[in-house]
Amino acid sequence: MPVVNAVLALEIFLTGAASGSLGALLGLGGGVFLVPLLNLVFGFPFTVAAAISLTTVIATSSSVSAGRAGQQLINMKLGMLLEVATAAGSFLGGITAQFVAQSVLQKLFGFVAAAVAIVMLTRLQRRNVILDPTIDPGVLGGRFYEAESRCVVTYRVKRLGLAVVASFLAGNVSSLLGIGGGIIKVPILNAWCGIPLRAAAATSAFMIGVTATAGAIIYYGRGQLEPALAAAAVLGVQVGSWGGMRFGASASAKWLKVLMAAVLFVVAAMMFMRGGR
Amino acid sequence: MNADRPAVAPRAEAMERAIGLVLRAGVVASSACLALGLAIALATGEHGAALVLLHTGVILLLVTPVARVIVSIGQFASARDWTFMGLTIVVLVELMASAAAALVFNRRV
Repeated sequence: MPVVNAVLALEIFLTGAASGSLGALLGLGGGVFLVPLLNLVFGFPFTVAAAISLTTVIATSSSVSAGRAGQQLINMKLGMLLEVATAAGSFLGGITAQFVAQSVLQKLFGFVAAAVAIVMLTRLQRRNVILDPTIDPGVLGGRFYEAESRCVVTYRVKRLGLAVVASFLAGNVSSLLGIGGGIIKVPILNAWCGIPLRAAAATSAFMIGVTATAGAIIYYGRGQLEPALAAAAVLGVQVGSWGGMRFGASASAKWLKVLMAAVLFVVAAMMFMRGGR
Repeated sequence: MNADRPAVAPRAEAMERAIGLVLRAGVVASSACLALGLAIALATGEHGAALVLLHTGVILLLVTPVARVIVSIGQFASARDWTFMGLTIVVLVELMASAAAALVFNRRV
C-alpha cells in the first residue's frame, strides 16, 4: 500500500477532480477515468484503484441524488426494483475480484472502456423520444415536469426483464472494475425500456450508490481501501463534479465526447497491453 | 399537457425529499471527517485521531446508501406498498451479505 504524503494526496485530489469534472460534463461517473489513472499512472494494484474509485462513485451518487430529490426525475420504485439486481451483481463481482488475476481485470476494463467509447460515439445525436403524455405510467413508470419544454413527461417501462439483466451485469462490472455502471444501464433503459434519458440517468445515478456500496464494503473488509487515498479522491471528485456541472451545462459536449471516446480507446489499448503481459 | 408546474404526486415528492436529506447529511458528514482526517494525517502522520477520522469518514460514506435503503423500507411500509417494501428489504439483505463477505475475507487475511 502506498505511503500517503502531501504530494501524493494532492496528486490524487487533482486526479479525482479531473475525473469528476469530465464525468459530470459527459454525464458519466468519473470512475472510467479514475481507475486507469490510479492503476496505470500511479501504479496502484487494480483492486486498490477500484476500491478508491467505488468510494468516489458512492459520494457522487449521494450528492447528485440529494440535489435532484423532489424533482420526480428519479424513479424510486424502478430504482429499488433494479437495485435488487445491481446489488446481487455487485456482491458477486466484489467476491470474484478477490480471486481473479489483475491481468484479467485489466483486459475486462479494456473491453468495457472500448464499449463505452463506442456507445458514446453512436449516441452523439440521440434525443429524447417524444412520448404520449396521456398514457398510464403503470406501477413502475413515471411522470416528471421538464422545465425546457414546460411539459409533463409521462412514460411506461417496457421490457422489464431486459432492464433487470442489464442492471445485474452493470452491478457485476461495477464492483469488478470500480466504475458506477451507469454507462451500461442508461443506454439500455433509454433505448429499449422506454425510459426518457433524463429519468434513466437520474435513476441510474441514484442506484449506483447502493451498487458501489455492495462492492466497496468487500474491498474495505479485505483491507484494500486505503482511507487517506480514498479521502483525497472523494474530495477531489466532489469538487470536480460540482465544477463540471456548474460550468459545463452551457457548453456543447459533442466535441468533448469525441475527444473522450478517443481517450477511452487509448485507455482500452493500454489496459489490453498491460493485461496481456 | 401544457401547464404550470403541477403537483405530480405530493406523497412521492415528500418521500424523495426525505431521502435527499439522508443522502445530503451522509455526504456532508463523511466529507467533513475525510477532509479533517486527511489534513491531520498529512500534518502528523496516519495514526491516532487522523486514522479514526478517516475510517469514520469511509464508514459514514458506506453507511449512507444503507441508511437510504432503510428509510425507503419505512416509507413503503407507511404507504402500505408491501411489494416494494419486500423488494427493498431484499436490497438491504444483499448489502448485509456484502458486509458478511467483507468479514469473512477479513478473517482470512
